[in-house]
Amino acid sequence: MGRFLLRRFGLALVTLWLLSIIVFVAAHVFPGDVGRRILGPFADPAAVASLNHQLGTDQPILSQYWSWLSGAVTGHLGTSLNYRDSVASLLGRAIGNSAKLGVVAFVLVVPLGILGGIVAALNRDRFLDRFITVAGLSAAVIPEFVWAIVVIILFGVVLRVLPVTAQAPEGSGVLTQLEYLILPAIALVLVLFGYIARITRAGMIEALDADYTRTAALKGLSWATVIRRHVLRNALLPTVAVVASQTGYLIGGLVVIELIFNYPGIGYLLFTAAQKKDFPLLQGGVMFVGLVYLTATLLADIAYSLLNPRIRYGSAE
Amino acid sequence: MATAIDELVALPARQVARRERLRLLWHSPTFLLGLVVVAFWVLCALVGRLLVPHDPYLPDLLSRLKPPSAAHWFGTDDIGRDVFSRVIVGARGILTVAPLATLLGTVAGTSIGLVAGYFRGIVDEVLMRVVDAFLAVPVVITGMLGLVALGPSTATLILVIGFVFTPLIARTVRAAVLAEREMEYVQAGRLRKENALYMMFVEILPNVLGPVLVEFTVRLGYAIFATATLSFLGFGIQPPAADWGLNLHDQYIYLTGGLWWPVLFPALAIATLVVGVNLLADGLAQVYER
Amino acid sequence: MDRSQHQRLDSIRRGQSELDNHLIDEFLGGYISRREFVRKGTVLGLGLPTLGAILAACGSTTSSTGGGALKKGGKMTVAIITPSGAIDPLKVSDEGGLAVLGQAGEYLAFSDKDLKLVPVLAESWQANSDGSVWTFKIRQGVKFNDGTPMTAKDVAFTVNLHADPANGSNARSVFKGVLSKGNTTAPDDTTVKFQLDAPNGNFPYLVSSDNYNLIILPSSYTGGYESSFIGTGPWKKTSFTTGQGVSYVQNPNYWDKSALNLDSLDLKFYADDQPRILALQGGTADVISQFSASVGQALLGNPNITVLALRSSAHRQIHMRTDKEPFTDKNVRQAMGLVLNRQQLVTQLLNGQSDLGNDSPFAPVFPSTDTSVAQRAQDVTQAKQLVTTAGKSGATVRLDTWNGYEIPQLAQLVKAGAAQAGINITLNVTDAGTYYGDAVFGKSPWLDSVMGITDYGHRGVPNVFLGAPLLSSGPWNSAHFKNTQYDDLVAKYVAAIDSATQRNLAGQIERLLLDQTPIIFPYFYKHMSASKTTVGSIEPTAMGHISLKTAGFKA
Repeated sequence: MGRFLLRRFGLALVTLWLLSIIVFVAAHVFPGDVGRRILGPFADPAAVASLNHQLGTDQPILSQYWSWLSGAVTGHLGTSLNYRDSVASLLGRAIGNSAKLGVVAFVLVVPLGILGGIVAALNRDRFLDRFITVAGLSAAVIPEFVWAIVVIILFGVVLRVLPVTAQAPEGSGVLTQLEYLILPAIALVLVLFGYIARITRAGMIEALDADYTRTAALKGLSWATVIRRHVLRNALLPTVAVVASQTGYLIGGLVVIELIFNYPGIGYLLFTAAQKKDFPLLQGGVMFVGLVYLTATLLADIAYSLLNPRIRYGSAE
Repeated sequence: MATAIDELVALPARQVARRERLRLLWHSPTFLLGLVVVAFWVLCALVGRLLVPHDPYLPDLLSRLKPPSAAHWFGTDDIGRDVFSRVIVGARGILTVAPLATLLGTVAGTSIGLVAGYFRGIVDEVLMRVVDAFLAVPVVITGMLGLVALGPSTATLILVIGFVFTPLIARTVRAAVLAEREMEYVQAGRLRKENALYMMFVEILPNVLGPVLVEFTVRLGYAIFATATLSFLGFGIQPPAADWGLNLHDQYIYLTGGLWWPVLFPALAIATLVVGVNLLADGLAQVYER
Repeated sequence: MDRSQHQRLDSIRRGQSELDNHLIDEFLGGYISRREFVRKGTVLGLGLPTLGAILAACGSTTSSTGGGALKKGGKMTVAIITPSGAIDPLKVSDEGGLAVLGQAGEYLAFSDKDLKLVPVLAESWQANSDGSVWTFKIRQGVKFNDGTPMTAKDVAFTVNLHADPANGSNARSVFKGVLSKGNTTAPDDTTVKFQLDAPNGNFPYLVSSDNYNLIILPSSYTGGYESSFIGTGPWKKTSFTTGQGVSYVQNPNYWDKSALNLDSLDLKFYADDQPRILALQGGTADVISQFSASVGQALLGNPNITVLALRSSAHRQIHMRTDKEPFTDKNVRQAMGLVLNRQQLVTQLLNGQSDLGNDSPFAPVFPSTDTSVAQRAQDVTQAKQLVTTAGKSGATVRLDTWNGYEIPQLAQLVKAGAAQAGINITLNVTDAGTYYGDAVFGKSPWLDSVMGITDYGHRGVPNVFLGAPLLSSGPWNSAHFKNTQYDDLVAKYVAAIDSATQRNLAGQIERLLLDQTPIIFPYFYKHMSASKTTVGSIEPTAMGHISLKTAGFKA
């Protein structure tokens, strides 16, 4: 298993390096005047020229890539064009906020989704199953920005029970912060629920139909014991992998959710960076998202192997 | 976006008779329902301008934000344009971008997948790492980066989404090709020292068309979602297009005043189109992967 | 006016300069309104007590605005547009940035919502006879928020800092040709002297909050504003988070501390308009600094929200290339001006929160505007005839613009109107970056397109609007309008000091532009801010400042 993880880790590093090339190329094909972009069309040309001079965006591409990459490895991702602040510290703050929101969403959706999947599987092809599956799918195909709008209007403006921006006032306690995060979390939950429920349901059904389940039932074990010991354990395996793969999705969804809720997380930061063509920030942000995703999948691999000791890790893929 | 298709790894295409598949498709309610919904929107995209009661782009300031009525079935928007007409015509933008982007990604991805799967070795290894790199970042974010770099327009939107999908489709096709590779006919072809291009595109390709088709429909769903989201963020389809995502962004603020119609109908349109495409994908997957 | 009034007035007049007395004559002669007299008077440095005395002598009184009883204490949350770029007094060129500068910083004078100048760090000012040398008396006992005293030397330092081309200040565009580097001096600790390059009757505006970069900095300033937020303003920064917001408490060294009500202040940055409006509706913000009337409709009828609409000179320009078909013929350009139903644009698209435009930069809000020039109204029949006579019926034009505010909707309405007159417009709407391009001729759809729509922010005086987009040499002349008669008129207008001359020239310019119509000015929209009804005494300006000095919550 150690060798397997080591290989996985190595591959993740290679992936990150390739990502850095993709991102860097994308960030450097853009035309135009960076200083003008920052200061706007009506700013004085002298102000633009002096800003461009400060930024020094006129060096050869390869040397720019090299200095950026060597900086990135040591955690120095350069300076944001727009904010004139270190990209690393901007990202650091933002990821803390996004993590809070992500955790709230996951804490809500994972148990709910698994529960929904289990209930659906145990009621296979009956009304409850259909209902959960259809409701889950329907919720999932409606874009998160639509959900965000719906929950804001409903809870924030019509009922006025929850705050419509996600950022709690400075120095708020955990409970207040939680109150502010519920609405955006709900919007994410609505999109993710159906997916997790469906995977769990599929895993459950496969496990319920499996030989070992029948054997266990024939041995005379109680139904509850069979479910707990044999079915759940096997059914949850694919769910773990899915939850991890959803980390990436979650960050994508955060762009829209954080924008609508004006929450200063990583998605919001990436959006403003894109809007302002703030390429150092955009580059750093995308790399960071990649890093988070790869870490999450690596952790999922470990969790998967712990849950399922039967899997052998000798082979490549 | 979340569909259940993701976890389905394309299995080797069995030598099921084409007629049998078609028969199964025609008896799959999932597929048929999806087909009806998607066909409806495709029709709207193609000839929507002829079907609508009002000019979808013509503003009428004297009848702005009017609720649904006999004259305006879905009401009017903030400059008095007919929401019904705009929703119908709005299918065109997204149904131009999403299928073309998916097609681009599928053609490029299939070619690369064939090459990687057929030759294996270093080509394959490099390719899979690139795929991983793309997978590590959500489509919306990669799309945003690409669109910002190239400047948002319909053409760049197609290019960027197609480009992002290419490696993902390549991976699916590669998996199918790997299975196909072990088949007798491929082994035999190799012994005959057939031209590699001939083997890939004439011998193997027809046998992996099933997974390619399934992948196409799945990606189409993602492409629609990505297009709508990018348009909502302002990086996608640009005004004055009657695009759904764009309209949602422009009009959602009116919800707070109880003006729900300019928002509800485009939202429903996106939802039905994505559901329709997903149903199609599910139906195809059931038939091709049983 | 009776004898005793004359005597009182004479005694006041004796202490005033030539320019001042000219103004008083204009007022007495009925050439300018009371409101305009007060505004002009503040520019010339007459000061409100003097003006009050003059008005009283003339049997007129000044009115004061009551704010209602506000309680001391409390924390106010203000949602503003995310500043673009770093907060740097030299570089700020956007509304979000200047709203931040105005909290910890202060100007020599504040250009208030009626375009009157209110003395702040300057107590009074006076010009020599032709308006080429201006002398400002600086307030004493003012300290920066780090405790060091502010003197005339700091003022001279700040102005020279911006006037020096080497520093790349955004304020340079205002000072160019008006005030050169080194010509601002401090003969003593209380006096600052400005030696102008040319006479300028409106100069005090150029060192007021209208020239928003000009917050007074200490002479020891070397940059790094974001870490210090150094200034003499009422609010002292406690924390600043890039891209998110600034928190402030009362500045313990503030010179006018008794005027302050709030204990602390939070500015929160918002990248998008809608969430900001929702924040006010949902109660997480007490004040939002600026929103567009077309988007903020929901706020207008809300009983829990007070909307502050300020008349402004902010507008959209629809330019037509006078050197490109089909607009080489002025009849076609006039026709485009005639197809728009401006009244409807104002009442519907902008929810009534706007003045009508008359195809010249002279917004109704400018006192010098000659309002006797007839307003251009919709006349489709005439427009059609003009196009037909010009032989341009059926011509196709591409209109370029960008996706923001109500601009795409306006583009749509222009297209619909033009179609009625026989001109087919195709729209090319892009993002702002693409539209403005590099902002130089040849590399910018804004400046190169045959037809386009551009957004212009508020200015306190029309000089910039008259120059850059319309002069033959103008750097923003997207209509490629070249008219020597116009150039002459503008040069005269800028040099003119008295109101009657200004208004006369304005009228000539307005008529010339109506005839030529290189640019359609459809409307001058109001600057909109809003607050909860429990909030009192906030003072926004059309420029984008939001003064919270006396703001508070109602008792």
